[in-house]
Amino acid sequence: MADSRQQKTRGMGRGDLPGEGIVTALLFGASAVSVLCVAGILAFLAWFCLPLVTEGQSASVLSWTWRPASGQFGILPMAVGSLLLGSSALLLAWPLGLGLTLFAHGLGPAWPNFNPARPLMALVRLMTSVPTVVYGLASVFLLVPLVRSGFSGGSGFSWLAAALTLALLVLPTIVLVLDGQLRLVTPGLRLTAAALGLTRTQELVHLALPLCGRGLKTAAVLGFGRAVGDTLLPLMLSGNAAQVPGGPLDSLRTLTAHIALVVATDSQSAAYTSLFACGALLFGMSQAVNLGLRGLRPVQATLSAPRRLSLERLARALAWTSALAVPAGVCALLGYLLWRGLPTLGAALFFGDTPPLDALLHGAAVFDGLWPACLGTLYLVLVASCLAIPLGVASGIHLAEFATGRAGRLISSCVDLLAGVPSILMGLFGFGLILLLRHTLWPRANTCLLLSALCLALLVLPYLISATRTCLEALPRELRLTAASLGLTRWQTVSRVLLPAASRGVLGGIILAVGRAAEDTAVIMLTGVVVGAGTPGALTDKFEALPFTIYYLAAEHQSPQELDLAFGAALTLLCLTALLFALARSLRASLLNGKSRRWGNGTSAYQRTTA
Amino acid sequence: MRKTMLLLILAVAFFALPAQASELDAFAGKTGKIDIAGGTAHIPVMKEAAKRIMQKAPGLRITVAGGGSGVGVQKVGEGLVDIGNTGRALSEAEVAKYGLKSFAFAIDGVAAVVHPKNPVNALTHQQVQDIFAGKITNWKQVGGRDAAIHLYTRDEASGTREVFWGVMLKKGQIAPSANVVSSNGAMKSALSGDMDGIGYVSIGHIDQTIKAPDLDGVAPTQDNAKSGKYPVLRKLYMNTKGEPTGVVAAFISYIQGPEGAAITASDGYIPTK
Repeated sequence: MADSRQQKTRGMGRGDLPGEGIVTALLFGASAVSVLCVAGILAFLAWFCLPLVTEGQSASVLSWTWRPASGQFGILPMAVGSLLLGSSALLLAWPLGLGLTLFAHGLGPAWPNFNPARPLMALVRLMTSVPTVVYGLASVFLLVPLVRSGFSGGSGFSWLAAALTLALLVLPTIVLVLDGQLRLVTPGLRLTAAALGLTRTQELVHLALPLCGRGLKTAAVLGFGRAVGDTLLPLMLSGNAAQVPGGPLDSLRTLTAHIALVVATDSQSAAYTSLFACGALLFGMSQAVNLGLRGLRPVQATLSAPRRLSLERLARALAWTSALAVPAGVCALLGYLLWRGLPTLGAALFFGDTPPLDALLHGAAVFDGLWPACLGTLYLVLVASCLAIPLGVASGIHLAEFATGRAGRLISSCVDLLAGVPSILMGLFGFGLILLLRHTLWPRANTCLLLSALCLALLVLPYLISATRTCLEALPRELRLTAASLGLTRWQTVSRVLLPAASRGVLGGIILAVGRAAEDTAVIMLTGVVVGAGTPGALTDKFEALPFTIYYLAAEHQSPQELDLAFGAALTLLCLTALLFALARSLRASLLNGKSRRWGNGTSAYQRTTA
Repeated sequence: MRKTMLLLILAVAFFALPAQASELDAFAGKTGKIDIAGGTAHIPVMKEAAKRIMQKAPGLRITVAGGGSGVGVQKVGEGLVDIGNTGRALSEAEVAKYGLKSFAFAIDGVAAVVHPKNPVNALTHQQVQDIFAGKITNWKQVGGRDAAIHLYTRDEASGTREVFWGVMLKKGQIAPSANVVSSNGAMKSALSGDMDGIGYVSIGHIDQTIKAPDLDGVAPTQDNAKSGKYPVLRKLYMNTKGEPTGVVAAFISYIQGPEGAAITASDGYIPTK
């Protein structure tokens, strides 16, 4: 970390080649987008929170009772609810994620014909593609009844049910970040560890993990941001009673669910205005966590002998527990989904009473099927990816290799802040933006596909930036030194040496981002998704999308048959996101093949010179 | 002779068939866009009407969204949609602020509902009020089994909640520990899985997965709601900003017309006409 900073300041001078300045400016421009967005969102929150202060309602909002009918708009129970749920989910998911990563990296068994790490990591990657709303749907009908009958007391819609499902949701984020870091760190350590006579466990626990301090923190920050910012799971599972829960079986309401529940109200009422106080509170919460985590010191690798022994045992126990518990939980939920969803699959699920060929070839309108929603989701993801991926990767490169001093720190804290913006708040931002445009510059502005894609792009941007940056910064310092000594400019170093070396991690980040864009429901709920719109026409049209269709069917089904459709739709969305992931992974594989040949030569040359 | 008869029948059929679908003829060849949002109870009716109209007029694009009555008022008021649906009458303030016009098309009751296996088959008005206020906390106090009552209610933007709270609970308090769900359907799936739960839904949503106990001896059915025997009822409205024109006006009169009424009835609501 310190090394890379030094490297940046000591690196080649600017303008070594004519294009260099332009590239640097473009990269800076990409980073500036995050800063502008954060500034925009802050200004937006401040603008809407202003009436609370000027009209003296802040005392009413910062109180413990939410009862709009009698003029009490206290949001503190929801703030407590968010904190409790987010931290409990992280406390469950972070150790489990660490355990899974350690298991996959050598703490698991080493059977000669079968390496359990492979299916485990495949399952984790599959988990990244499981949409929130799918977890929500399966949990409502599987986990909630279990909680209700297993612990007598309460309705099952509880803190516990929401925390368990949320933990599953944030787990893959944590595992992928840690795995990426360990992959970068371990190859260099293996010879050293072997020379010192360390076991694999000792190497991981005492050498590799302490070097992954940044990754451990990043995983926690991203995980907490995801848990606190999630809307759908608390909305569907936590019961939503506006009270401070007395125990894990009690109902609670988070700030995000509160926004989703109350946003459907008169936009001039005090209840509506109090939502922006919720938004501001959520924003403040994520910032506090960011700052707190940044202050943490990485674990030092100097531990006394007896503690070391217990640490290794602990790591082993953790690895085994996670490797058993997580797949069990995921398989139960997905198995239930398959059991309910498989019988519904068929042409009628997608095309209703329209002949499938007419719909596919001639664009015949489909009314009672999922086809328009499938297409809507696909377009949405495509547009959002086109907007977010170039920006995110460019900004990640800028932060890792070019940004220095105060500007760099400002940008990176803005990225962290943006990562903490919950999707429901991003949706509210997009909706507010449209209202503002209508009242000022553009009276015909309306919620539409483009707006949803734009908000989704902003939502996934920080994921892309963090992934790119973390991977670049974790590369060995020797690479930069070698490149510089060969006379490469900074941009040449980045494009020819560093990016190819980090491409695995960067593409991992892109995979995460694409999956996130495909499954998010909270953003599109406020920015243009509808129940019936037909196949998407123009970017300015309203559209259907699969995650919202599932949420709608789960919530508004008129008959058990319609609920079955929700399970069919959930299975379809799962297949679609899994397909996207497979595509991204095969892309990555082909890229790696091309690059590794070039990179392979470089490595061997490097090894020859050092040998 | 037989041939001419056949031709005659064919000719009659040819002219009679379009005549039957005359209500949809108003839309033939029409193009443009109608955006609809708001009350979730309305969606099945709106979707079915949109489907029939779009099959007749492929150039016309009708989108249907939910969000709740609050969203309906807000979006139509801001001009984001053409029709904003509400499951309650507009307040004077809302009408004055946005210049909205309301078009009722259905009557719908709201009933307290429980799990179908719950032995309680009848409740009094007072009992329902006490249950939701948190004064009665065990089912055995109202003749059921010995188990704690799990309360379910709706969010403040819900038109269903407004009617239930205003008429059934007489604006009394709802216990803060009540679970809050965000739609009629979510209420239904929560209650169909919870033996000890009680909540309330639009009567149009009641099916075999939930049970509505009698209220003061009156079964909560749409017929009793129509005749006025069952007191907790509301109308479903479409609202526009100012007087509707063009395809929007045609859509509203289609919903209020005989074919719209048939769709409304088949979705479990009572047409106003």
